Amino acid sequence: MSETIFQKSQIGQHAYSLPKEDSAWMDEMPSKEELRSMLPLPEISELDLMRHFIGLSRRSIGIDNCLIPLGSCTMKYNPRINELCAQLAGFAKTHPLAEDTLVQGNLSLIYSFIQILSEITGMEGGTLVPNAGAQGEFVGVRMIDAYHKAKGDLKRKEFLIPDSAHGTNPATAALAGFSIRSIKTNPEGDLDLESLQSALSERVAGLMLTNPNTLGLFSKQILTIASLVHEAGGLLYYDGANLNPILEIARPGEMGFDVMHINLHKTFSTPHGGGGPGSGPVLCNAKLKPFLPVPRVEKKGSQFITVWNDTSSIGGIASFYGNFGIYLRAYLYAILHGKFGLRKIAEQSILNANYLKCKLKTLLKIPYPQPCMHEFVAQVEEGSIRAADIAKRILDYGFYAPTVYFPLIVKEGFLIEPAESESKRTLDQFIEALRQIMEEVKTSPETVKTAPHHMPVKRLDETRAAKEPILVEKNI
Amino acid sequence: MDFVSNKARQQIEMLADIGVGSFEELLSSIPKQLLKPAPKIDDGLSEAEGFAFMEKIADQNGYLSLDSYLGAGAYSHHIPAIVGAITSRSEFMTAYTPYQAEASQGLLQVLFEYQTAICRLTGMDAANASVYDGASACAEACLMAVRSASSASPKIALSSGLHPLYRRVVEQYLIGNAIEIDTFGPDVQELKDDYAGVLVQSPNFFGSLERLPKLNSGVKILCGNPLSYGLYTPPGDKGADIAVGDLQPLGLPLSFGGPYAGYMACKESFIRKLPGRIAGKTVDAEGKPGFVLTLQAREQHIRREKATSNICTNQALSTLASLVTILWYGPEGLKNLALTNYRRAHYLYKALLKLPGFRPFSKGDFFNEFTVELPCSAEEALEKFRNEGIEPGLPLSRFYPEMKRHLLVAVTELKDKNKLDLYIEIARKL
Repeated sequence: MSETIFQKSQIGQHAYSLPKEDSAWMDEMPSKEELRSMLPLPEISELDLMRHFIGLSRRSIGIDNCLIPLGSCTMKYNPRINELCAQLAGFAKTHPLAEDTLVQGNLSLIYSFIQILSEITGMEGGTLVPNAGAQGEFVGVRMIDAYHKAKGDLKRKEFLIPDSAHGTNPATAALAGFSIRSIKTNPEGDLDLESLQSALSERVAGLMLTNPNTLGLFSKQILTIASLVHEAGGLLYYDGANLNPILEIARPGEMGFDVMHINLHKTFSTPHGGGGPGSGPVLCNAKLKPFLPVPRVEKKGSQFITVWNDTSSIGGIASFYGNFGIYLRAYLYAILHGKFGLRKIAEQSILNANYLKCKLKTLLKIPYPQPCMHEFVAQVEEGSIRAADIAKRILDYGFYAPTVYFPLIVKEGFLIEPAESESKRTLDQFIEALRQIMEEVKTSPETVKTAPHHMPVKRLDETRAAKEPILVEKNI
Repeated sequence: MDFVSNKARQQIEMLADIGVGSFEELLSSIPKQLLKPAPKIDDGLSEAEGFAFMEKIADQNGYLSLDSYLGAGAYSHHIPAIVGAITSRSEFMTAYTPYQAEASQGLLQVLFEYQTAICRLTGMDAANASVYDGASACAEACLMAVRSASSASPKIALSSGLHPLYRRVVEQYLIGNAIEIDTFGPDVQELKDDYAGVLVQSPNFFGSLERLPKLNSGVKILCGNPLSYGLYTPPGDKGADIAVGDLQPLGLPLSFGGPYAGYMACKESFIRKLPGRIAGKTVDAEGKPGFVLTLQAREQHIRREKATSNICTNQALSTLASLVTILWYGPEGLKNLALTNYRRAHYLYKALLKLPGFRPFSKGDFFNEFTVELPCSAEEALEKFRNEGIEPGLPLSRFYPEMKRHLLVAVTELKDKNKLDLYIEIARKL
């Protein structure tokens, strides 16, 4: 392990500089009892600071370094033109409470991006405020709740969620005060209609669904599912984590979904940043529009205005306008592609996934053999080698590992998603790596079980980390 | 344009390997009536056209032509040049959440160092790796208090000084679990009722310093500008159980409201109630130290509906920017930065109060932002200031319609004496 920055302090050194003080204000001081005693931070020069973090960066990897085939994460190339534009002073230096007349550019961008996203998804309107997918889910679920309540329908306290769903779905519905009913997946990997029908009742507020689902399969029954839920008085929530493969191919609005979120840090290429910031816009149909959160941007004549309060709205969800600096990157990504380019994204993500799936058939068990969309599940045959072992060995071959042990219904499974930006050559190298690893499983299983061997550290003890948590550097 | 690597040649080879005659065969599971026809005309833009288009939009923001004193939760500070150099490193910027710890040691160490830095700044024992923003940090802290409560119908008390835009996010997060919210004024010394948690913001929305009231029971949450803790007694030394706030003043551009990041730090006994990602130190198979994401049994991908929060993606890269900023300033620099903010703000405030018709709003002290009552309506003042190229602050009537003559003014290290004196000169003519 490299030392932490807190162990690199040298007394009296520093990097900072500050504008000079003026004698006019030098006597201003807070009262003594308000002042803190020492601030235990390290003292470091700028060069040492730079070297520390460059050193850390060399012990990490991103999509610029290698394939990251994490399923349901859509790790695609992050175009640098987006970064360049986000740094334009007109965007980076505007204050979120500046008067509307002073930020017409920003407001017009918000307005037109909502229009573009509505068109892509077949919805009637939306909001860019939610800061990430899970917060978008929360907004959508709160809007569904508000819709039922506005109709005087107060009994709907249950949400239906497939057993293959992302963990954020049940966590979100619970946060919004709903109880959760899990719906089974059928042997073909689609939602089990009997399980759905038996769960539907006048207590059900809605169903949260990903389509294609987390097995990478598009639901053939989607129109039936939608009408069943609607007939029972419920609404349909679309988890847009898997939107990438249906861009300009199919639209959630036409599938019967009422409200949805999009993860811009997946489908629209904004950098994932090692865990954010993301952005999770919510789109909805006409009947849910009144409940959209504030602030909302509206167009009055040629002027754009922000509406901060609206009595029918569910209210606020973020400090200001959400992650503006993120969704402006996504906006540029959308207009660079146009509909023509967006369709190419979807098509190539499907082609890449099916190619990889087809090539891995001889190496891993493929539980759902039909053509997939942008991702697919693969399993390790039950034995002494676990999916986690193979994942660790994949790191040694210079790739990030796919998602493991998700969805929960697939035992010893991988969820693999090679986004559209990956080339055939990269996919072929990944296939070859897996071929060699599966060979090792037969010839030298210990090598796989004790992987990784070529990372900065050997396999880490996660149990110990949780049992005796060390969450901060104690040394001063 | 697009960023798809494979072109026709590779596509044909791949389709042949898959064993399908055409791409459309791969779409067989999508009901026919849902399929859109492929667009025929390329309606995309080149990189040059895209950049010009964005420049044009950015130029439509007249805000930059004004010297602004807007704050209210988002402040204009200098961002050290090293911040962008580090956050734009591919290995940080384009990484995913570090699920495979062995391949992501650098990123995990960043999170661990961030947690350490924020704990030292706030005087707390543990921190998570961030939530979305200051508002969601307040909301998540209240939910932590509710989870810690013994009462079957826990209540939360919020100070009336809490940022009104934060308050409504707290309400949003608590409404699902039917948590009652009470409000108390800044002069309240003690709360008699039983509360699961009480939340005070200091400096509050109006800029004033506020104290936590005495409580019978319940979790004490202090929301604050993290820069102020370079100078002031941190929440941990003031009896707070949870410290929250927005990292924006530490190295994050205004960027029209985001991305910022919410920090959350707490005392030891609340660690397992924290929401979101947490990095921890452990050892590898050879006993060498390393870092992992830990205490994951709290999280949505493991616990689903029983998780402490639904948060998944947080604001990791923003915390890196704040960490680098904290370290660049260091202990002495943060103190001096906070102090010069304090001094400049007080210079302006005192000069304004000497002018006829200007009146104070609150008796207590403030950090780098204050509310002042003007001799005229804020609307009138705004017009006069703008004519001289200044955006003088936030008219509080935008949030409190009855406060027609009140202006919230933020002063940072970027305001030199000439700028402040110009402000005073214009104010004199109001």
